[in-house]
Order: sequence, then C-alpha cells, then structure tokens
Amino acid sequence: MKATPEMTAIVGKTMRESISHPVTVSDIRKWAIAVYYPQDPPPLFWDENYAVTTKYGGIVAPEEFNPFAWVTQKPSMTDPKVPQTAFSEHELGVEPPEYKAMLLTEIRESYGPTRIRPGDVIRSTVRISDYFERDGRMGHMLYTTLSNEWRNQNDEWIRTTESVFARY
Amino acid sequence: MAEPKRRMDPYDRIGFRSVLTPEGVCMGTSIKVSVGDKLPLFVRDGTVEHWNRFAAVNDEFAAHHWDPEVAKEEGFPAPFCMAPLQLAFFHAMLRDWTGEDGRIVSVAAKLKGPFFKGQTLTGLACITEINVINGEKHVNLELSQTDETNRTIATGTAQVALSDD
Repeated sequence: MKATPEMTAIVGKTMRESISHPVTVSDIRKWAIAVYYPQDPPPLFWDENYAVTTKYGGIVAPEEFNPFAWVTQKPSMTDPKVPQTAFSEHELGVEPPEYKAMLLTEIRESYGPTRIRPGDVIRSTVRISDYFERDGRMGHMLYTTLSNEWRNQNDEWIRTTESVFARY
Repeated sequence: MAEPKRRMDPYDRIGFRSVLTPEGVCMGTSIKVSVGDKLPLFVRDGTVEHWNRFAAVNDEFAAHHWDPEVAKEEGFPAPFCMAPLQLAFFHAMLRDWTGEDGRIVSVAAKLKGPFFKGQTLTGLACITEINVINGEKHVNLELSQTDETNRTIATGTAQVALSDD
C-alpha cells in the first residue's frame, strides 16, 4: 500500500476544523474526577477557593482535558457526524487506498505554557502531516500522521497532538 | 514451610537500572531531581466503574470497552480501557510527582497492547536527562505501563518543566 500522488498533495492542508463551546468549571471538574478515580483529583482542578491561591490564580484544566466531547459550536449538533478518533482522505476529496484495517499506534502530545481555563473557546485544526511506509507484523503498512493543533480564543497555542495511524 | 512469594519491584521488571538518589523524589515547592530517579508508581485497577466515568466525560462509548461479548467478537478476551484514559494516566502520574511546580511539555506513548478489565495497570517513569532551558529545568523521562503479569501495555517518553527555585 502506497500513498498516491493525490494523497501526497494534501499533506499540510486543513482537513477538519472544530470550535468548542466555552469550557465550564463543571467540565473540568468532571474530567479530573473521571481520570483520577477512585482517588480525589488535585484541588487545582475543582476547588476555586484553593485554586485562586495558586500561581494559576484559578482553576485550570488538566493538560489532557478534551473540550470537544459531546457537542461543539463547529460542527454543530445537526451537522454530519465526523469520527474524532479516525480520519479519511475523503474529507479532502481524495480517494484513500483500500485497506483491511486501521490502527492507532502512537500518540504524541506537545503543550504550550498556556492552560485551558473556564470560559476558554478552543479551536482545533486537523491536518495530515506525513505519510510513510514500513513493514510490520501485519505486512507492508502505510502510516499516516495526523496533526491536531489547538489554540484558544486569543490565538495562544495550547496543544498539538500527533496521532500515527497504520493501515494494512 | 514454603518461602512467601515476594512481589518483584516493578521497576526491576522492566529493566530500569537506575538507583533512587539519597534525597529521592519529593513533592513540594522545590523538587530535587537527578538522572536515574524513579517516580512514584501510578496504579489503577481496570474497572468498568472507572471507565464508565471516563466514557461519560469523553463521549467514548465503543462497546468493546464495556461489553464482554463485543470484545470477544473482536478477538479480545475481555473489555479493555480507552487509549485516551491510558494516556491521561501518564499525565496524572507526572502531575502527582511535580504537584503544581511542574508543567508538562510533552507526552508521547506507543500503545503495545490492551489494558483489560480486571487487570491492574502500573505506571512507571524514570528520569533520563535534565537540561536548563530559559531558566526552567526541563526533565526528560522514560515512561512505561505494565499489567500484573509483566506484560507491557504502553511505552513512551515525556518532558516536564520544573520551576528552578
């Protein structure tokens, strides 16, 4: 399986853009409780009286917090559903190769110094950043790196996630 | 009388050869770090009670995470944990260590195999490099998650910036 010239031509182009609803304190609290269960999460993520005394000056979200769960401003509830944990070149009008299966093999997260806070609106921009081929346990595989950059309403960089998918 | 079984140090299991420094790893306003230091273990049981909570906040309801029949149909012996929650465990382990003095710069993970319901995940981390960048101490770490049978679930790397007090 190889990347076609049409696939290579879409590397770097915006495949998908999403905009979150404003993040709420409740979103952050519930995320932290779910991750740390059965222990209590750090008070920075749920106790406003405590958080205001820290260097952050208020509650911030855990780095891995996802503000795009359930519903977003863009796409809206009524727009066609796009799977957030997979992708297809069809989103850019290009025919993908035929494959039996697609597996997520690697995730790389990078974070800027700015944390997500209540009230923030986060914009996600997804691009294909790389194609490469390698022989694996399942034979010759085509790997695709998807880059997902998050910025807040002030255009401050929050996070970039690079997800590597293998198709065979 | 048979000698009681001793539980092997998880750090020995995965081949970290480092020795904890005398001052060890401590939380607080000034974290002392040395190459070779090992972070406190991060342990979680694989329970549907936990995964349901994460499913609720991440809108992640694939049936193979909670339905044994679906997991079996897909070739797995039991339901298994969501990858984003496993990644979140690496983050929580780092935060447990640094407290509020740390800033996670990066976390990368390769998923080696599922973390199944009923198993116990142990997260491990060892400091591999320390650099000072713009007045911050940047600490590189090697990460791993194993189950109670020594099977590697995930491996990875991370970088954490610490305030240089």
